[in-house]
Amino acid sequence: MDAFNNFLTGTITLFSDPLGILIFFGGVIGGMLFGAIPGVSMLTLAAILLPFTAHLSAEHGIMLFSVIYCTGVYGGAITAILFNIPGAPENAPTAFDGYPMTQKGQAGKAVGAAVMCSAIGGTVSCIIMMLATAPIADWAISAFGPPEIFALVFFGLAVAASVGAKTFWKGWLSILIGLMVAVVGLDPVGGIERYDFEMPYLLAGIHFIPTILGFFAVSEIFVQAEKKAKGSYTAPKLSVNFPTLKELIEHKFAVVRSIVIGFFCGILPGIGATLAAFMGYNEAVRWSKTPEQFGKGKLEGVISSETANNAATGAAMIPLLALGLPGGALTAMMVGVFQMHDMEPGPLVFINSAELVWVVFAAMFFANISIIFIGFLETKTIINLLRIPFQFLAPMILLLATVGAYAVRGLTIDVVVMFLAGVIGFFLRRSGYSVAGIVLGLILGKIGEQTFAQAMQMLHFEWGGFFDRPIALGLLIVGVVTLMGSVYGEFFKKKPPAAETPVS
Amino acid sequence: MQRPEIYPGVVFPETRKRNRIMGKLRSGHLVEAVLWLLLCLFLFIYSFQFDQDIEIYRFGATAWPRAIILLMAIAALGQLYHHWKRGDEASVQMISAAVDDGSEEAAHEAHHEGLKWYASTFGFLIIPFAYMRVPDWIAALLSAEGTGVHAIRIVCAAILIGIFVYSMRRNMIGAMLTLPLFFAAMLEDMGFYTLAPFFIIGVMYLFGETRPKPMATIMALIFGLLMLLFVKILYVGLPVGNIHPFYDIGSWIVTVLQ
Repeated sequence: MDAFNNFLTGTITLFSDPLGILIFFGGVIGGMLFGAIPGVSMLTLAAILLPFTAHLSAEHGIMLFSVIYCTGVYGGAITAILFNIPGAPENAPTAFDGYPMTQKGQAGKAVGAAVMCSAIGGTVSCIIMMLATAPIADWAISAFGPPEIFALVFFGLAVAASVGAKTFWKGWLSILIGLMVAVVGLDPVGGIERYDFEMPYLLAGIHFIPTILGFFAVSEIFVQAEKKAKGSYTAPKLSVNFPTLKELIEHKFAVVRSIVIGFFCGILPGIGATLAAFMGYNEAVRWSKTPEQFGKGKLEGVISSETANNAATGAAMIPLLALGLPGGALTAMMVGVFQMHDMEPGPLVFINSAELVWVVFAAMFFANISIIFIGFLETKTIINLLRIPFQFLAPMILLLATVGAYAVRGLTIDVVVMFLAGVIGFFLRRSGYSVAGIVLGLILGKIGEQTFAQAMQMLHFEWGGFFDRPIALGLLIVGVVTLMGSVYGEFFKKKPPAAETPVS
Repeated sequence: MQRPEIYPGVVFPETRKRNRIMGKLRSGHLVEAVLWLLLCLFLFIYSFQFDQDIEIYRFGATAWPRAIILLMAIAALGQLYHHWKRGDEASVQMISAAVDDGSEEAAHEAHHEGLKWYASTFGFLIIPFAYMRVPDWIAALLSAEGTGVHAIRIVCAAILIGIFVYSMRRNMIGAMLTLPLFFAAMLEDMGFYTLAPFFIIGVMYLFGETRPKPMATIMALIFGLLMLLFVKILYVGLPVGNIHPFYDIGSWIVTVLQ
């Protein structure tokens, strides 16, 4: 009942504030648009907006990002279905059946299913998030100290290494680059200058906003420039056609199964929606009586993937808000928004800024609901937007990123750092490294080193102290097992035969 | 054109058979591993610069970065082993993202690979860094001060822009990577307001747009929108430059808009 009252309070606060309403709808529409336009993603929008959230209140800033997260995950499905270009990694499985449906002239039905199922998955996940986050945060206050948080960071990084890059080793190298970048500047215990190369600029560390802008927004433009050089841009034809009630009822088990899978995957730090979408799709194939039809334009493939990835969005907020640990690139940026307002996400947010939390929850709930209405209308707008040639979008995005990077501290060197990160990101991406891994390493690196130092001081530099703390020990063991499992897979597992081709 | 398989860890573009050294190892893989190991060596050696004790923390300031360096070296060697055994195949258990954003196959299909392409691209990338350093060296050599330094910076910029424009058609991607960095390098001196219109035109051109009318219209539209939003409405202070006449142009635009 408390949760319901808080939700009502959050809703009233959200919709009684004209600026809040404007930001809410801006986030809903912006997330969908940037998710849908080929060459950019919700992460591009989030990276561009990140510096400007300093001018907003913490409540509005976090709410904007959470809304973009919900609708951006859906928006990415549109490009996955129409172009076979997933807007984000979590939309990749949507393309397996969505794109063949487009090729068969059923793009409207695929997009309609994505709209419906994204809304259902996201809304259910959001309700569970509202009920579960506060109790988890309450428990975390007493149960989570620096050793546990360090163990959770380790576990998150161990899992994240398996996501996003081409190989396990490149996944780790991506994360380690991020961790190394986080080392630059003053050390968190003694304030000793590290890797500053006698440049005063580096004393404060490499600012995460230009880095994020470079790795996501700028490198994306460079990748698109290369694709343009290859010449692979074609505009599809589209209509929006919701699946019938009969079709939805036929797939009710797929929807429920994907919600459960999506939620549990989303709650794991470091993977979230990406693993959710792949597992949702895989389980749909495994449970199906006609698995051979998957990859050839089966509606259930789109339904499973889109329900699961949106179900992960609400769940991904739980580790962020209850424990202060981001699970992916966008939640990592949310940590940035908190930090810009001199706040730290974590269990204390529920005590110190309860109103913020419930406004964010209410906004996420209504963002998911609005996918049905705005998604239907906006998909038609997107068809027209997709006709804008990328050569006209690219300079706009690059200049927005420039203004964003410069506006943080008024330093042109931040703009240089951003474009340099873009160039490095471009070369790393084309070599199979993961820019999301780098950003996660960058954000978790600072938390990781600080909590490790605090944990060791707390345990009097006795490693055995971890054995007396069951949660920390459990997380470390799971992290090591995950790591060893990946190493085992790397050295001993045989590659499955390449005969099955989901995309025909 | 059909994109490559993106199912997790199942299929990836064919392992290229050329330039193999050992197993499925290519010279490019070896270069990649050597670069990583050199980076580790450099970072490790540099860590002695801040190898100081911290009274309350037994591990000091170097333990954390050195642990990362060690893991980086292990991962680089692991990657080398992977390349030797499996070439360019994706790991079996990976949940792909980098592999399915199309950047790798776009590079492959556009033939943006090989030593020659990399040499040309990195050659291009010298231009912005040359602008950041060379004018200061020349100014120091000539003992120039004040407006003399400004004149040197303008002449250096003009020469480097000339080199950039002359060479850009030979490697459009190299030029695309260089242009934003060059723009950023000149931002302090020339200012946002003077450079942005040229930057917009440059990016459009490098993306293949050559029609003057759409280029001029879109340039005016983007520049106008940015000015309206950031200068007129949000009052964001953008760099006006510190060299005449660029400083005057930038200041004039800000005065007119605000």
